[in-house]
Amino acid sequence: MSFGTSSASSSVPAAPSRARPSGNAAVRIDNVMKRFGSVQAVKGISLEIPERSLCGFLGPNGAGKSTTIRMIMSIISPDSGSVEVLGSSALAMKDRIGYLPEERGLYRKMKVGEFVGYMAKLKGVHPTGLARRIDDWLERLALPGVSKRRCEELSKGQQQRIQLLASIIHAPDLLILDEPFSGLDPINGRLVTDLIRSEQARGATIIFSTHQMHTAEALCDKVVLINKGDKVLDATLAELRAKHDDRGLVCEPRTDARTFADAAVARGIATAARTNDGGTVDLDLAPGTDADAAMRAALEIAPMRSMALRRMNLDDVFVELVGKSDGEQKKGARIDA
Amino acid sequence: MPERPQQSYFGKIFLIAWREFRHTALTKGFIFGAVAMPVLMFGVIGLMPALLSKEVPALVGTIVVVDPSGTIVPRAKAILEKPPTAKEAMEEFAKNPPADTGSQINAASEMAGLGAQKIEVTWRVEKAPDAVDGIKSELKDGRILAGASIGGELLDPSKDAKAFELYIPSSLSPKHVKQITRALRQAVADERVARSGVDKELLSRLNNPPDPTTTRVSPKGTEAQENTELRFIVPGAFMFLLWICVFTSANYLLTTTIEEKSNKVMEVLLAAASPMQLLAGKILGYSMVSAVMLVMYGGLGLAGLSAVAMMDLVPPMHIAYLVIFFVMAYFMVSSMMAAVGSAVSDLREAQSLVGPVMMLLIVPLMLWMPIIQNPNGTLATVAGFVPPAIPFVMILRLTAATEPIPLWQTALSIVWGFACAFGMLWLAARIFRVGVLMQGKPPTPRELIKWAFVK
Repeated sequence: MSFGTSSASSSVPAAPSRARPSGNAAVRIDNVMKRFGSVQAVKGISLEIPERSLCGFLGPNGAGKSTTIRMIMSIISPDSGSVEVLGSSALAMKDRIGYLPEERGLYRKMKVGEFVGYMAKLKGVHPTGLARRIDDWLERLALPGVSKRRCEELSKGQQQRIQLLASIIHAPDLLILDEPFSGLDPINGRLVTDLIRSEQARGATIIFSTHQMHTAEALCDKVVLINKGDKVLDATLAELRAKHDDRGLVCEPRTDARTFADAAVARGIATAARTNDGGTVDLDLAPGTDADAAMRAALEIAPMRSMALRRMNLDDVFVELVGKSDGEQKKGARIDA
Repeated sequence: MPERPQQSYFGKIFLIAWREFRHTALTKGFIFGAVAMPVLMFGVIGLMPALLSKEVPALVGTIVVVDPSGTIVPRAKAILEKPPTAKEAMEEFAKNPPADTGSQINAASEMAGLGAQKIEVTWRVEKAPDAVDGIKSELKDGRILAGASIGGELLDPSKDAKAFELYIPSSLSPKHVKQITRALRQAVADERVARSGVDKELLSRLNNPPDPTTTRVSPKGTEAQENTELRFIVPGAFMFLLWICVFTSANYLLTTTIEEKSNKVMEVLLAAASPMQLLAGKILGYSMVSAVMLVMYGGLGLAGLSAVAMMDLVPPMHIAYLVIFFVMAYFMVSSMMAAVGSAVSDLREAQSLVGPVMMLLIVPLMLWMPIIQNPNGTLATVAGFVPPAIPFVMILRLTAATEPIPLWQTALSIVWGFACAFGMLWLAARIFRVGVLMQGKPPTPRELIKWAFVK
């Protein structure tokens, strides 16, 4: 299913080509803190999320992602610091924000169309043409004809799509999705991915939290990594790649992998080489080495099935930064003690 | 960013209110529970005597009376075959209230004039006083229904009426014993009157003490007709009407708030509306549910009074008071229920917090009688200023009083009551704001108060 196109007669807003971040901040958080009893859930986070960008909130369980999102939504107030959403307070901008909470909820006895319509009207959508708009969206979400069914009659996956629809039916300028992929099968996961892309292409700024690094890597312009209430990373994917792309090649020679690896080090193409299961070889390039020249040199050693520049892996960045952050906190704790 | 239409502050409140109303009052459950059930209950109560009358066992058999005069049996036969009128049954009920449930049911069916019973009794007169032994023998063998021995002295009006002998088998039902006893007693009494030469009707008139037509005169000189029964019934009806309408809808508010929390739909709603809008919408929505019930039940009551031309019992001012105190009571009770509903995650947890609320709400019910008996007494006056009992106590006082409640007390209770209602609403809103996002262990009452003052 594609979300990039829409029929001319559809009442669903057509998705233009993928929009680029505008440079203005859709969300600006300045040194916000939140404590629940003895737990400091958020410890002075500051960040800016540009308009029309797609920002991933990453972090382990209990890191403070949902608390930060709830403060952005003004569902809870920060103990200190300020939050600005779409140039104002989130309370004033509620109708321009779409929100899918981590814990999904809908009125079980309400009919699907009625529930989505209720949420849309609460967000200021005019009732005229609303039923048609809901039916169009249901069709696009592969849920045709469920409008008159009670929410409780739908499967879990269908209910999740209905909740997602309730968060976007009013075409929000800012869409906040807390764990939108949790509990989804691959087909529904793809559907949500396409929908997120489509919403960004329409011009919405999107923030979503996830544990799925590959999804964040594939979707995001920017990632924010939160661990134990602290922001440990705030960068665009391009910046991350520039910083974390380690200078290396992944080669799959047609000859013996071990022989190829030894030859690559012996000829000074790589500073180190490792053979992997499946016959691939990782080559670490010396700083300042021209990657194109190194590839040409590698081809001279052996013919290749495949060869690629080794790219940053968000999983590794996550593990590295969270591990580092945990280590520093433990060290700090020992010093404090 | 381009300008786009937004839902107004009050628009959201009305939307929420309408959803709550629609999904509560316009459902089969509500229509059945709040409309059909009371109608059904009243129907069953109304039909109960008729249904029970079918259960009255037939009185069939032979009664043998040792009656040397031969005058008792014809009288007793006529009395037994003519069941008591509703008025006679009522008088008998007032004089000798039945103790057991069976007799109470019989009395109720007699008073309702529904005591249709098959009576096929053959009477046999024995002149010889020594026939008693034969009667006992026949009773033992189950050949007769009952036997009696009425001596000649008993019929002499110049002598004290002593007891007569009645013989019954162990299997005879209490109702049949009562019927036979009544027939024989009345027959003896009628015979004694007849022998004394006194006109029975005259005697009945002479023995009937007149009832007074009581007029209450207040210190200010105003007069009002006294009606003891209605002095109890009308104020009670007003208070129960208020209590049922307010409590039912406030209970709906409690359960739906808990349901929204447990369904996790609360956070979705809070993304669209502020906690204050949500609370206001819910309270407004259930106020409409409550108002529907008030209009429906109150209207039924008024229609009933109108049908029997007794509308003068409910002056328009009482209806105005009912509306004023209904609004006050609703805000007080719904505030408490909303606060409790927001603080817990399921109905079981709610019980511990609803307990104290229920205690407060039951107090007016317990004070019903003392307040009605002395609406201007110290207890009634003081209770009329204690929240959340104010609206319930005041409606009792105002509708029970045959002499006016001082105007300053009425005015002050309204002003003070609404001040308390809004204070409770404010507290509930503060608790609701925190409570709706809380999960896990339910708070203690102390923690609830703490939530109210959290920044």
